Amino acid sequence: MSELTLRLVDIQKKFAGVQALKGVSIDAYAGESVALLGPNGAGKSTLMNILGGVIPPDSGNIFLHDQPVEIHSPLEAVRHGITFVHQEIAMLPTLTIAENLFITSFPTQLGFIKTRAINDQAVQAMARLGFYFPPTTKVSSLSPGDRQLVEIARALLSNPKIIIFDEPTSSLTEREKLRLFEVIQGLKVTGVTIIYITHLLYEVFDICERAYILRDGEIVGGGLMKDLPYQKIVQMMTGARSEQAVATRKSRQTSETILQVTGLNRSGVLEDINIELHKGEVLGLWGLLGSGRTELLRAITGLDPIDSGVIQIHEKGTTRKIRPADTKKWVGMITENRREEGLLLPQSVKDNMSLANLTGLLSRLWPLIDGRREVKEAEKYVQRLNIAISGLNQVVATLSGGNQQKVVIGRWLERNPIIYFMDEPMRGLDVGAKAEIRKIIGELAEAGAAILVVSSELEELMSVSDRYLVMDRGRIVAELPCETTKEELIARAAEAKAFEAR
Amino acid sequence: MISKIRRPFNLQNILLSYGFVIIFALLFIFFSLTTKNFLTIDNLLTILVSAAPYILMATGLATVIMTGNIDISVGAILFLAMVSGNMLMLTRSLNPWIAIPLMFAVGLALGALNGFIITVLKINPLITTLGMLFGVRGLTLYITHEQMMTLAPVLLNFGKLPYFRELVILIALVFLVLMHILITRTPFGRHVMAVGNSPEIAARLGVRVKTTIFITYVLSGLMVTIGGLFQLMQVSVIVSREGQGYEFTLIAAAVIGGISLFGGEGNMIPGLILGGTTLVMAENGLTQLGVTPYLYPLVRGGIIFLAMYADSLKSSVSKTMAVISEVAEKFLPVVNPGPPGEK
Repeated sequence: MSELTLRLVDIQKKFAGVQALKGVSIDAYAGESVALLGPNGAGKSTLMNILGGVIPPDSGNIFLHDQPVEIHSPLEAVRHGITFVHQEIAMLPTLTIAENLFITSFPTQLGFIKTRAINDQAVQAMARLGFYFPPTTKVSSLSPGDRQLVEIARALLSNPKIIIFDEPTSSLTEREKLRLFEVIQGLKVTGVTIIYITHLLYEVFDICERAYILRDGEIVGGGLMKDLPYQKIVQMMTGARSEQAVATRKSRQTSETILQVTGLNRSGVLEDINIELHKGEVLGLWGLLGSGRTELLRAITGLDPIDSGVIQIHEKGTTRKIRPADTKKWVGMITENRREEGLLLPQSVKDNMSLANLTGLLSRLWPLIDGRREVKEAEKYVQRLNIAISGLNQVVATLSGGNQQKVVIGRWLERNPIIYFMDEPMRGLDVGAKAEIRKIIGELAEAGAAILVVSSELEELMSVSDRYLVMDRGRIVAELPCETTKEELIARAAEAKAFEAR
Repeated sequence: MISKIRRPFNLQNILLSYGFVIIFALLFIFFSLTTKNFLTIDNLLTILVSAAPYILMATGLATVIMTGNIDISVGAILFLAMVSGNMLMLTRSLNPWIAIPLMFAVGLALGALNGFIITVLKINPLITTLGMLFGVRGLTLYITHEQMMTLAPVLLNFGKLPYFRELVILIALVFLVLMHILITRTPFGRHVMAVGNSPEIAARLGVRVKTTIFITYVLSGLMVTIGGLFQLMQVSVIVSREGQGYEFTLIAAAVIGGISLFGGEGNMIPGLILGGTTLVMAENGLTQLGVTPYLYPLVRGGIIFLAMYADSLKSSVSKTMAVISEVAEKFLPVVNPGPPGEK
């Protein structure tokens, strides 16, 4: 066995009363790649920020080569041989590759940059990665994958012993990803320890020797990859608790189709998607992160282009074929990031509620907004959704997450669409607020709306869905009824991948 | 051995990048053919001599623009700096060896004040320099009682030196080259470009963003004063509207020369030479044609608009290009040229 390079022992960290890390311990050896897996908010980034010197731990020890160390700043981390390749690529596009590599460490002579020296060194640094662009190439002419290699080359300049990759493949094409994996394999051979953070499980099987699974700030499992079957990792990631707390519900499913998607394709992303969404049902779209759920919603609503496929709306006995961009006219869209995409945070509750329905609020006499009606409508839905506010003019930014989400939903209620798409409608809400949103979704379905819900928290999804579609790698791999158990859903989402991974 | 990377749609980019070279050439040919006196050595020299101070003035402002910021107080700074030094020479007979450096010091100090307000008090650059424009110009008009002022004898005599015109061009060229080297060959210059790309990313990489921005404003104040002095020696008098509207002339010279208002792009040589000369040449040519001077602002406005439009078009094109190459990446082989030595 090779040398133990890194050892984190019993790391604890508390943020504003919340225990983000509850005593996490990790070992990593020279020349191996360690995967850090877990859902969003599990504590992966917190742990790595502690290792990278960005934040201090409350307690616990870090050992490098069996020596205890304290890391107080990112600079100190670099001095200890630890570098971080961040998810977003930090590049200066109008500068050259060499300039990007040396931007804060230019070798100079009498105040002038030694251009030839940086170019030569850049060539050497890039060659280690099998990357042979001239060093004077402007970064703006590189693809995202090439830019990431420049970023890695920059990380390598300090001769690190440990490199942390945070979701490195999120903006890469398949081909670029394979090349990145080659680079990582090459680094391992030189004895570097890689820590690989991701939520894309199948990548881990390709390049990692060891894995740790984090959930709610705890290591729930880990070990050598060869001892960890795929199914088991999935179960650990999604939570092994098979609690019956999920209210068992009767299927409300009717046979009247409202939205029909046939043969939808988007090259490399979605493959032959067929969906029938019925009146009065909640359809749960389930799949692991990266299975194409959000991509599917984006494609149906015209946010991403599609290569082929037909979308039809059945309404009042007529059927009409629509373009993806027009779907929005029928659909109330509750987006994943309400704070970024859904709400105008500095504006009032009333303004936010009226936003989706401004033409409906125009006075009958002239094309101006009828202020009295605006207030009346907003009040109606504030009451109906039980939104806790001091008044309609309260600024949305000051509301709690649950109430903000209700404002987003209330906005669509004013327009009364026949279809809703909800992407992670309960993310980041507390238990009480989740229950209320769940109730509202149920009521909307009772009233006859067709609702498509996406959630990465399986329990959440199970608490509202009448029927499930299971996605995996851009395909719908199963359709399951309301009574399906959690274990079965996990198994179905994971089985195709397990097959390919082995 | 190392192959160049090929990119699609080169023509469009070339057109946008070098469009003003073409316009410059067309204007030059047009004036040469339609007027008798345009294409004479003496007139061309006149154009260069008038353009040189503008180019000199614009070098500092150009660094501000390269960081993605703006300075519209340059005209006012120039006005106060010139008036203060000149007045002390006229009324208090101050030694020119003190008075002239004092002018530069005033320009430098006002630039530093701009930089301080923007980087430390964190006030928007446009608002800061707009306030400076009004404040400094108002103060100067108060000092001069809105009177015109002749130049101090020293400066007048200097302007009458033999070969003064050639000297102005030479001095402008020397400063231009110095500034060009500062931007292209020193870490400071790269940091200017880095900030212009994205202040956030630059900061994350460890560039001292505020210091960099501060220095560019100091340079802006200093260079406009140096350039302004050579301008005044040509006209012998400080009018009460001295420097008015210079901000836009100088910004236009920079943008015409390919220095993007979005920051992070452009160069002093040949950019500023081209930009400054185009504006002066257009007016010179119009004078030769006998066009009424009242139309000059219109023409100048048209050129400025064209330059800014090209700038904005260029950056939207490069965004489109990024999307195109991202898509193309999926279908085309990876563009990595391969190890040297291989075919």
